[in-house]
Parts: sequence; C-alpha cells; structure tokens
Amino acid sequence: MPNIDMDAPGSNQLFIGNEAMARGALEAGIGFASAYPGTPSSEILGSLSEVAKKRDIYVEWSVNEKVAIEAGAAASFAGVRALVAMKMNGLNTVIDFLSTITLSGIGKKGIVVMVGDDPSAHSSSNETDSRPVSKWLDIPLVEPGDFQEAKDMMPFLYGISEEFGTISIMRSVTRIAHARGNIKLGEIPKIAHKARFEQYLDPAAPMPTPIMCVPSSFRHMFQHMRMDKVREKFESCSFNRYVGPDKPDLLIITAGSGWLYSQDAVNALKAENRIGILKLGTLWPLPEKLIKTHLSKADKVIFIEETDPFLEGVIMEYTAGFSPESKRNLFYGKHTRHLNSFGELTPDAVIKAITSVLDIKYAPRDAEYMKKVEAVPQGHVMDRLLTFCPGCPHRASFWAIKNALAMDGRNGFVTGDIGCYTMALGPAGFFQTRTHQCMGAGAGLANGFGQLSRFGFNQPVVSVVGDSTFYHSIIPALVNGVHNHSNFTLVILDNGATAMTGFQPHPGTELTAMGEPAAQISMENICRAIGARVEICDPFDLKDTTRTILDLVEQDQGARVAIMRRTCELVRQKKEKKPYKMQIDPDKCLGEDCGCNRLCTRVFRCPGLIWDAAAGKTRIDEVICTACGVCADICPEGAITKEAIA
Amino acid sequence: MVTKTKGIGDLFKEIIDKGLCTVCGACVGDCPYVVFYRGKIRMLDFCNRTEGHCYEYCPRTFTDLDAISNKIHGTSYTGDEIGTVKEVLMARAGDSKTRAKAQYGGTVSALLSLALDNGVIDAAILSKNTDDKLPSGFVARSSAQVLEGAGSNYMAYPALEALNGMPRDSKDRLGIVVTPCQAIALAKMKVSPPSQRVSMENVRLSIGLFCTWALAYDRFFEFIKNNVSPAKIKKFDIPPPPANRFDFYIGKEVESFPLDGIRNYRMSTCAYCLDMTAEFTDISLGSVEGIEGWNTVIVRTQQGMDIVEEAKKKGVLEIKELPAQNLVHLKDAALIKKARAVQAIVERTGDKNDLMYLGISDNLKGKLLSHRVTAQGGH
Ligand SMILES: Cc1cc2nc3c(=O)[nH]c(=O)nc-3n(C[C@H](O)[C@H](O)[C@H](O)COP(=O)(O)OP(=O)(O)OC[C@H]3O[C@@H](n4cnc5c(N)ncnc54)[C@H](O)[C@@H]3O)c2cc1C
Ligand code: SF4
Ligand code: SF4
Repeated sequence: MPNIDMDAPGSNQLFIGNEAMARGALEAGIGFASAYPGTPSSEILGSLSEVAKKRDIYVEWSVNEKVAIEAGAAASFAGVRALVAMKMNGLNTVIDFLSTITLSGIGKKGIVVMVGDDPSAHSSSNETDSRPVSKWLDIPLVEPGDFQEAKDMMPFLYGISEEFGTISIMRSVTRIAHARGNIKLGEIPKIAHKARFEQYLDPAAPMPTPIMCVPSSFRHMFQHMRMDKVREKFESCSFNRYVGPDKPDLLIITAGSGWLYSQDAVNALKAENRIGILKLGTLWPLPEKLIKTHLSKADKVIFIEETDPFLEGVIMEYTAGFSPESKRNLFYGKHTRHLNSFGELTPDAVIKAITSVLDIKYAPRDAEYMKKVEAVPQGHVMDRLLTFCPGCPHRASFWAIKNALAMDGRNGFVTGDIGCYTMALGPAGFFQTRTHQCMGAGAGLANGFGQLSRFGFNQPVVSVVGDSTFYHSIIPALVNGVHNHSNFTLVILDNGATAMTGFQPHPGTELTAMGEPAAQISMENICRAIGARVEICDPFDLKDTTRTILDLVEQDQGARVAIMRRTCELVRQKKEKKPYKMQIDPDKCLGEDCGCNRLCTRVFRCPGLIWDAAAGKTRIDEVICTACGVCADICPEGAITKEAIA
Repeated sequence: MVTKTKGIGDLFKEIIDKGLCTVCGACVGDCPYVVFYRGKIRMLDFCNRTEGHCYEYCPRTFTDLDAISNKIHGTSYTGDEIGTVKEVLMARAGDSKTRAKAQYGGTVSALLSLALDNGVIDAAILSKNTDDKLPSGFVARSSAQVLEGAGSNYMAYPALEALNGMPRDSKDRLGIVVTPCQAIALAKMKVSPPSQRVSMENVRLSIGLFCTWALAYDRFFEFIKNNVSPAKIKKFDIPPPPANRFDFYIGKEVESFPLDGIRNYRMSTCAYCLDMTAEFTDISLGSVEGIEGWNTVIVRTQQGMDIVEEAKKKGVLEIKELPAQNLVHLKDAALIKKARAVQAIVERTGDKNDLMYLGISDNLKGKLLSHRVTAQGGH
C-alpha cells in the first residue's frame, strides 16, 4: 500500500481510486473520518487509519453506517471537516438521517459521504445505483471519471458543502475504487482543528441552533433554493467537459467509468471526427445549460453510465420542458436496449451500442481471441470452488448446523446474512442458507418465522450471523425476538474479525481503527442481558457443537443464542504454526465405496483435501491444508489422522 | 415389487418416508450419511450412490425369503406358522437372580451369559435403557453386563446399528438379541455379506424375541413423558393374553394402562410384518401363556441346539415340555399375524400379486393369501 500522506506535492503516484479519495480528503483538511467496511469502499478509511495519528485526525470504524454518518455530522456541527464512507447498502441504511440533514443543514465545516457502488455486485447482495438518492433527497453528488478526479473532487466537494451548507455525496464504482492509476499529488494543509459546538439562538447566525429540520416544508423549500445555487456553480465546473467535433454525428453523455470506456470506444472506432463526448462530473444537480448547449449541436445522443439510466432519464425528462422550437434529439441508451440497465458496463458493450446507433461495421476481435484468452491461464490457475478457506471455522460450524437440522428432522433452515458465511448458500455451507438479503435481515426474518406456529409452522429457524454483523444490526432483532417470545436460534459465528472486507476491527475486537486499545464489548453479555439463553462452543469440536445446536433448536421456544467462537484462520495463521500433522491412510480410505463415497472431498470439500481419482483415494494437499484437523473428525473410517505437533 | 438394489435416496423415498421403516438399524452405523436420532432414521447428506447396503439389507425392501431361509436353516421358506423348528420347549434361568432381573424366565440373559462364559462368543449386542427409558444398543462382554440389559423395552430401536458400529477388523465372536424384523435384516446381511463391515462370520448366535408389534420410539416416549415419569420406571411389561394390559413398574407399584390405548403407539410398519416368532434366528423366545416366569423357547438351528443342551447340562436353564395347548395357541397367534400382514399388504398395493417386500414363490403366495383372520392372537 502506498503511503497516502506522502509530502510530495506535484509528484505523480500510483494510487487505487479509494486511496486517491482518501488522499483527496487529507488535502481537503478533514479532521474526522468514520465508516463501516463494505466493498468497494473499505480502503478509504483503511488507508486513512494508517496515517491518522501522524496527521492528527480522528478515524473510526463505526458499529454501522448510521452511527458513522451521525458521528461525522457531529464533527461538522462542531466545526471539523468530516468524511463518511460506506458502500451503497450502507447508504440505504442512512437515508433517514440524510433526509433530515438536508433540511437542518450542516455545521460550519463540510461533510462528505463517499459511497462505493458495486455494479454487477461482485462483492455485494445487490447492485443498487446510489445516484438517484441525490435527486429525491436534494443532495449535491459528484462522480469521478478517473483517478485524478477521485482525489481532486474531494477538496472541491468540501467547498460545495461549506459554501452551500449542505451534506454532499461522492459516488464511485468498483472499477474506479479498486483500479490503480496515476495521480498528481497536491498539498496536505496543516490544520489545528478546533472543535466547539456553538449554540447561537439567533436565526441569522452562521449556524443557528437548535439544529433541526422543522419547519420542514420551509426548510425543504430552502434546500431547493440551495440546490439551484449549486447548479449555477456546477455549470462552469471543470469536472464537466466536452471533447469532440463541434457538431458531432453522435453525442455521448457519460460519467464515471463510462468516461473511460467512451474514450476507448471512440479511439478504437477511430471516430474522433464523428463522435463527441460530454463527460459530466457533477451529476446532481445537473448543469442544465451546459447540457442544453451540447444537445443543440447533435441529433443523436447516447448515454453511457453505470447501472441505472439516471442521466438518461433526467436529461430526457428535462428536454420535455424545452420550448417547441428547440432541437428534438434522438436519444439512445438503456431505454432503447442499446445498453443494459443491469450489470457492469464493459468496453465491448459500449462499442457495440455506438456502432449500432451509427451503423458502423466493427469486428472487435477475431473469433479465436476469446478461446486463446481462456487457454492462457489453464494449468497456471486452479479451478476453485467458491468456498471457505481451508481451516475456516465456518465450514465446521455449518457442518454442525447441517447435521443438527437433519437430525432434528423438521425441515429446519438457515436465514443468512452478509459476510464470508453468505457462501453457505452454496456447497461451502452445504446449502444450508435459504435466505439472503441485507445485513441483519436474517435475524429479522427469523423473528417473523418464529411467530408463525399459530398458523401451523413448525420448522426450526436458525439465523446465522457474523460477529461484526451482530453488532451492526442484529441486537435490535434479538431484543425483539426475546421480548416477543419469537421462536428461533441465533448462531453468531464469532471469528474475531470482519473477515470479508479485510479484517477491520469491530466492537468485539481489541483495537480501534487508530490502533489503540478498545473497550471490547462482550457479545455473550449483551445477549444474556437481553435475556436470551446463550451457549458458547468451539466449532472445531463438531460433536459438542452439533449437540449444542440440536439442544437449542429442540428448545423450540424463545430466542436463544449459540456463539461459535474460533479465530478466523487467516488471522490465526499470521500468529501460529500448524497445530497438527495431517495424514491419510490409503488402506483405510474407502474412497467411493459404500460406507463413505468420498464424504470428505464430495460433501465436506475443504480445499485442503484432494481426490486422487486414479488411486481412488483422498490425499492431503500439504500446501493448502492448514491442519485444522476437522476432517479427521468427519472421516467415518478414521483414515484421516491428526497428530499434534509439539 | 422392486427387486433391484438401490441407493439411500430410494430407501427414504420407498421405505422411510412411507412409514415402513422398522428402525432395525441395518442402514445405520455403517456410513456417515444415515443416523438414528430420537426414534427416526435421518439422512445427514446424500451419498449419491445408486446402490447401497442400506437399501439392500433393509427388511422392508425386497427380501428373498427362500434365500435367507436357506442361509439360516438350509431349507426353503415354508410359510409355516412358526417357521423352521428343531424343538419347542419351555425354559427359565436356573439362577433366581437372573430371573428376578429378567422379563419372564430370563432365558435370553442366561443363554448369553453361558455363551460368553464358555467362549462361544466374546461379546453380545444387547439393548439397555437410557435414563429416559429409551432402548439403546450396547456391547456386553460379561454376564454382569448381560444382566444390565435384561428386561424388555417395547420400543423399537436400531439393534443392528450397534452391530454395524463394531470395528471393521474386529475378531470378536458375537451374539445378538433381535426382534423378527431385525432378524430378517441380519439374515439378509448374512446372505450377501458386506465387504466393508464387521464380518458376518463373526455373528455366532442370534437370539430372537417374539414380537406382535413394537412401539414407535418418538410417539411412545411422548406418552411416557406425559403419563409416567420416565426416570422412575423400573420395568415395562405386557402380560400374556388375556390380560390386555400394559404395565409400568414404578418402584414397587404397578401402573397399568389398557393395551388397546397403547396399541395406538405401535409402528405403522408392524402391520406388514409376517413374522411373530423371529423365524430366522438360532433360538427365539417369548412368554408362556398362563404360566408366569417362564419362556416359550423355539430352537431352530444346530448352534441353538448346542447352547440349549449345554445350558440344560450345566443347570443354567431349567427346561420343561411346553404344554400342547400352548403350542396350539402360539401357532394360532403366529398364523393370525401372517394372515393380517398379507391382507394389509394387499390392501396397500391393491394387487394380489404385489406383496411389497415379500419375495416368495407363487405357491406360497396362494398359501398365505388363503389364511383367514379369525381369532384374536398375540398382544
Ligand atoms: C418389542 C418387543 C415385543 C415383544 N412382543 C412379544 C410378544 O408379542 N409375545 C411374547 O411372547 N413375547 C414378546 N416379546 C418378548 C418378551 O418380552 C421377552 O423379551 C422374551 O420373552 C424374553 O424374555 P426373557 O425373560 O428371557 O428376557 P431377558 O432375559 O430379560 O432378556 C431380554 C433381552 O431382550 C433385549 N431387549 C430388550 N428390549 C429390546 C428391544 N426393544 N429390541 C431388541 N432387544 C431388546 C434385552 O437386551 C435383553 O437381552 C417382545 C419383546 C420386545 C422387545
Ligand atoms: S485438516 Fe483437513 S479440514 Fe483442516 S485444512 Fe487440512 S484438509 Fe482441510
Ligand atoms: S427398516 Fe431398518 S434398514 Fe429399513 S429403513 Fe428402517 S432402519 Fe433402515
């Protein structure tokens, strides 16, 4: 990871988009940053936390996005620039707060929400486009079209936030957030932050208190007036620009990563003389005059943007208000099915859309090309199942859950949540997870299922959540369940890490984001205080864990809790050696015979086990196996053995 | 009638999910996919094989009765009331301590103790009650341990799971106590021995219990929990007809329930069972109508003869002739069970030629179908 706070103004550095944004925030002089991890936004706070002490800023991994944004707002209220980062799922959970802070206004210093969208949902439950939020909640929103902008837009956005007294949003997408590019550094100002919550009662004061959203309609009107002023400002903003001929055959209107794809497409088609690109950086409120000027110069217009037809819809809607004498453009994009309104944009899709509108012939690559591309990694890259790491405690936990539910025999099921363990939808977790929504939803659903016995429902419900998820959004669901006597078992997979997003601390772990000792919050104490029965087990003790889950499931009343405690294997590995020597006795291994049929490599499927088809036996993959020893306990023949290494 | 061996999925589809499972345990304990839990056979994972021992040995999948009869008795299946017989007699344990702990005459416990003592077997697979009064399998290696298992628990339990659970390379010679359905499964295992389990050659002595029906573990356990406190129960008993009672011995007291009510808790699969006297064992036994503290004993094989002779010689057993009238009643009861089962099977399949799991010759089919259910018999 590069040093994001290097003192080298004017130099060029290779940063990923998220680091560029973090650098931008430093150059903007933030004093406060809070976030909940979520791909593709996690590296922003992660990289800030590394330099927090040196730069004397406060950085926090918050328990969830809602607390993060409210904490950030407090900094703004007290006169310190604040950055709040989250992924789009997080944005959904803070809508309520956003809808009031747009009315109340912010403090003397700016606050920026950086939201990472994940088109194609590479690492998400959905691919929601965040941009429409800006329109329906009246919030200025910008989106960088390249890495330099990712940095430069930050100071700009703080300027907007403070000049107009409004919270502002920066949207980026995975391909900007996680790709690496060159940026030219600016200067990081030395600021001695002074925080004070001034309590002026005079409405004419710069920040009159109380800070509130009533009278709401009046303040709503006021926010609209602010937005009109922001729009004026955006008309001449250099993040919006046009390249191309004066009167293009086709005008591309684009933003974000669409800008990169559009330039590539025009290059590839050698159509610089025919196609113009209007690249927008300030997406809300839109610079209407600028757009109108460019629309008047082209007949055909195509929109290239990630996910939803946001610009497409807004601009077409806007042209409906043009005078009858104005030019009537032909619009192309997602509504004409030239591009999809789902999944990620690709350079190919953009080229295809353009060639189809302009009726250009273009064979992007020879037909054999893809075959050749696919052949390259063969033999170098292993075919790997989407699964838990070797030695992952989750595999053992789901093994125990599976067996317990099968033994119970009432068709029980798992309501899932968000974390590595989401993979339990598939073979990694033996297909146990049967619902998958957003963070906390599994426990909420379990609450509801658990009340349906009056309608004949008799299936055991097991809500499986991670430790970070527990603190993030499960506690209210557990309170609800205990209070209302809902019948479900909550299983908390406590591996001491927010593993999926990169091991950020959470309220149960030892250190804060600043690397200081944290007050660790005991999840068992919380659960017991709520009034739930709590059992704690080690998932690697399969027998005990299975028995415990079965016992909890069979209790068949009230909300009760099992904590499966075992350190994430990736964390353990960094600190300890392999605990066992694992061996397989080929004479005992039954292979595909009746009595086993490859339980270990067909069902359990730890990547540390290899099926040697020629020999008809299982082998240990010494390189991958972490010697957790769990497979020794599932082998029905005792063929797999673990020998403790002193 | 399906005669082909299939896999675990079919076992569940055709037998277990259809209420035909006897909980004998033939499909349990041998592989990691099937377990017994609280009275039910459960599948933990799908094993994905199209053929398996679980399906093959199940007493409710196709069963070639001639083949198993030939294996155990050296003759084809006759369809006679009480099967192939060498001798019928009446016996009880010579030792009064054994009798005191046992169900009736203590013949089962006495014979097993003797077999262990004189080295015919090294271990016996029996049932013993858990604290909840649920039967569970265990391996006895001494006469003291045999006595721990004395007494009848009328709930069906997977006796053969305990057999399957023996180490594959075990050299122990084994005795085992089985109900008739378990005896059929065991006989099927002997006909085509599994390669990956404990050797069937090791099973030297099978003692069968007479059985009219057995109680469904899960449902009857609910009944016990709701009506008598399980921890206090010392003994269960179904006194011979015409008592028509089910007795719980609680301390010195006896709490009785009408047998008709208890009958509701029997396993549905028992209705299709042809065998009352455990025909495919070495020795089988039950109570003696009207004579308390004795067992009716049917000796069926040479091994059975040998051990009974030895027991007689050593005074381990007191032996008398079974009164002629008792034998007549026993045969009547056994015949009624056969007739009822065939009738129930035909009702279920709707086809006189389809006798479900029963693999028998057309001649015998006719013989069995001609029995009429007349008198009341058995418990
Ligand atoms: C389910 C069931 C139904 C029966 N139905 C009849 C009947 O209809 N008519 C009749 O005359 N007799 C019946 N009996 C047999 C009878 O109850 C006695 O077990 C038999 O007479 C032997 O008596 P004993 O004194 O020699 O027994 P004991 O010396 O006390 O030995 C009994 C043996 O049976 C084993 N055992 C106990 N419960 C079970 C079980 N559930 N499954 C397998 N083994 C078990 C014990 O481990 C013990 O070794 C039935 C037994 C059972 C278990
Ligand atoms: S010991 Fe077994 S389960 Fe654990 S990592 Fe190695 S192969 Fe996987
Ligand atoms: S009858 Fe026996 S073998 Fe058949 S399914 Fe039931 S327990 Fe398994």
